[in-house]
Amino acid sequence: MLALNYAFAGLALGAVAALSGVGLIITYRATGVFNIAQGAIAMMAAYVFLAAVQDWHWPKAVAAVVVLLGFAPAFGVLVQRLVFRPLQRRDASAAESLVATIGLTALLIGIAYEIWGLQAQSPPSLLPQGVWQVGSLTIHMDATGDLAIVIVGTVLLGVITRRTALGTSIRAVVDRRDLAQLSGIDADRVAAIGWATGVMIAALTGILIAPEIQFTPFELTLVVLETFAVPVIAGLTNVPVAIIAGLALGIGSSEMSLWSPAGAALSIWDALQANLPVVALLAALLARNRFAGIRADSGDSSDAGTTTSLARRRSTEFGVRWRVGIYTAATLALVSPLLFSDTNLRQAQQVPALAVIFVSIVAVTGYSGQISLGQAGYAGLGALLFGRFSTGAPELVALLGAAIAAGLVGFLTGYPAIRRRGLFLALTTFAVGAFVSRFVFQQPYFTNGLQVLRPSVLGLSLSGDRAFYCFELVVLGLVFLIMTNLRSGMIGRSLVAMRDSETGAGSVGVDVRTLKVFIFTVSAAIAGIGGALLAQQGGAFSADSFDPLASSIPWFAVVVVFGADSAAGAVLGAALVVLVNSLTANPDAYQIVIGVFATFIGLLPGGVSDAARRLVDWLAHPAALVRRYEAVHPTTPSRHTLTARGEQARATIQARRGVKATAR
Amino acid sequence: MSATNGHLEGVGLVKRFGGLTALDGVSVETRSGTITALIGPNGAGKTTLFQCLTGVERPDEGRVRLDGRDITTRSPDARARLGISRTFQRLAVFGTMSVEDNLLVGAEHRTNAGVVRRVGGLLAGLIGITVGDQAAHRRRVDGVIDILGLDAVRRAPAATLSTGTLRLVELGRALCHDPEVLLLDEPATGLDTAEIDNFQRVLRDVASRDVAVLLVEHDVDLVFGIADRIYAMAAGQLIAEGTPEEIRASSAVREAYLDIEPAAG
Repeated sequence: MLALNYAFAGLALGAVAALSGVGLIITYRATGVFNIAQGAIAMMAAYVFLAAVQDWHWPKAVAAVVVLLGFAPAFGVLVQRLVFRPLQRRDASAAESLVATIGLTALLIGIAYEIWGLQAQSPPSLLPQGVWQVGSLTIHMDATGDLAIVIVGTVLLGVITRRTALGTSIRAVVDRRDLAQLSGIDADRVAAIGWATGVMIAALTGILIAPEIQFTPFELTLVVLETFAVPVIAGLTNVPVAIIAGLALGIGSSEMSLWSPAGAALSIWDALQANLPVVALLAALLARNRFAGIRADSGDSSDAGTTTSLARRRSTEFGVRWRVGIYTAATLALVSPLLFSDTNLRQAQQVPALAVIFVSIVAVTGYSGQISLGQAGYAGLGALLFGRFSTGAPELVALLGAAIAAGLVGFLTGYPAIRRRGLFLALTTFAVGAFVSRFVFQQPYFTNGLQVLRPSVLGLSLSGDRAFYCFELVVLGLVFLIMTNLRSGMIGRSLVAMRDSETGAGSVGVDVRTLKVFIFTVSAAIAGIGGALLAQQGGAFSADSFDPLASSIPWFAVVVVFGADSAAGAVLGAALVVLVNSLTANPDAYQIVIGVFATFIGLLPGGVSDAARRLVDWLAHPAALVRRYEAVHPTTPSRHTLTARGEQARATIQARRGVKATAR
Repeated sequence: MSATNGHLEGVGLVKRFGGLTALDGVSVETRSGTITALIGPNGAGKTTLFQCLTGVERPDEGRVRLDGRDITTRSPDARARLGISRTFQRLAVFGTMSVEDNLLVGAEHRTNAGVVRRVGGLLAGLIGITVGDQAAHRRRVDGVIDILGLDAVRRAPAATLSTGTLRLVELGRALCHDPEVLLLDEPATGLDTAEIDNFQRVLRDVASRDVAVLLVEHDVDLVFGIADRIYAMAAGQLIAEGTPEEIRASSAVREAYLDIEPAAG
């Protein structure tokens, strides 16, 4: 009977997990976008609901209706119109959509943090809190309500997709967007409806789950992100399976309280219970390596370099004079903090440390096309292991050891990358990062009594702020040397070849598998060094610095915004992060800035650094600008002469365009 | 190019997709210095056969051998390192790289080194040490650029070039790999007549250097004009093999084609 009680207790979380999964599947099916921002949207909705009830004193029911039927669908349509329709129109790669959702996540978290801060809130429960007592069985009303909402909602959606004309067009767009459009279906409208529905479900998820957990911008978002196990188990297609998986997850986690092992195993068991969704997510991702029946993930179509679109190589090399100028300016900028006041210098010390971590993302994502959303995991491991090793070894040896150990973990996670790409790889690396964070960084067993000291070289202490900054610069310089080697010569060509076309690279003997594992290892080792530097800078290891959501995801966004394949851009990005944070005295303010850029990445392909390159290029060679203008606006008329029928067709098309233009 | 055997064989290959038997016990082989062609109507199993030979698909039954060595379970890139290189029907060039670099990637990975030595090469590269004879690779690339007439575009990023040029770039990449066996998947798709003429000339040149060439091609005129030996397939089986004259005369081939494409053959 106790087991049954626990089952009912777990029902609430399970139902919400199922709901979140269904919402994600619906957006994905209707728009082709895997909405990482689902968690952040849920969080935002929960805050708005809270504000409406607590600050504006609206009745709960009114607040819920306004948020769920007004705010949420409007936001969904807005996001579709402003962000994803432009991407879809120019046939952007899946990687760009992914970045846009990541950017949206960072943006919403940044805004929520700015407005509501980090204190945990206690939001009102939408559903009644009472219990029914049936014999010794305790049934919670809210959990039952959650379940009822999930079932009714899913049945309703099922009826709409199976039985109505709208449902038919949704399914047509999902199958073949181009053909559906040719047969007169307004795919944009379907996408807008998909977004509105998806955001509405996300909002409902957020409002329902907020009272059950510690409600902060990060925590709620992360809890919803972790329920991604549900859609992954359901292969992003099967709604009934998603519901069963969600319920199983909630009930399973609850039932684990029935049994508690003795001794040391207890803390493992507790950690497992608290983090069952992360474990399920990782396990589900490792068990599968693709989603069945999804075009973007099967066949050759996705092979055209998942991140090539984010990392355009400059078309013209700069001349020597420009390069000398740029490098001189960069070196001066990096050295100048040595003249800063102590407080400012201490802020600036974060720049080289963060830059090293960002550069590690450039290596794995920009140079070789493997999306990694788990980079904070390797960085944190580097910091933690440096602390552990440095008790028994000189600091520099400990740093090297930490880098190698982080590299080994990268080596292990590189294996799943062999068969995964794009979205799947992104989720897998995120899950690895979340797993490491929850099971290592947040476990007192690993972090108690951990000391992170700044190194000394040959008896010379580097603990002074200026000396330490110089040390950081030297490390950054060495990392840059490695990056130069990764970019040039045979390795550089192999990596870019793999990024641009994996099958093409394999066809001439590039050992793609070894190369992937290799680049994951190198990147993780670099991230480990950066993490160790970051911890040395702060003088302590903090799990929050290496959080999968607060760090990995915005860091990735920064790197993409500053040009995924630009190591120099990564340094610039690190400088911007530190600058924004110190100006606003809010450690996550940069997320708003970066979030905006990443969300609208479609307008700035190649990132800030590519735009800067083009600008410099134009300044250096004004003729290039003219050529570009001429390419867009050809002065000579088209050479094709149309037949009479062709002329007729053209006239018709122009007439229609005119009608449309005036109609607007 | 070194004198090699270039003897790629598929023996009794069977491949099923669910209930469909795409290949039903097909045996083919290539010979050094010979252009072999694979023809057949749509759905005959040409592509599946090609995929089994290159390692993209693994056959359910039968073996694939290169110069007598069983390579049935080898991955595509391992086969490439043994000397089988290929082009793609749907282009698979490295778009952001220059034509020259595309070809250089082709030249750099023709190695007998085991995985340990290859990883060693990567680690050496990490600290800036180049393994392998770069000058020789460059010479090879220059030679191929000459043969294919790609000199004018050698520094252009591949993504900016036309399909016709990119087919040559892919061919060049495969040639830089110093192949024993060269597999071409519908190489004439998207080429105009002048480009096809040029392509035929290059292919003859390649074959004369003791390379075994196997091509799958829809353009029947091209095939009959260039192939020394032809395999004709229909419904997952070989229906004829022989010289172009023999194939032209074969009633089985006529029937298979007449069923579907009366104009061809």
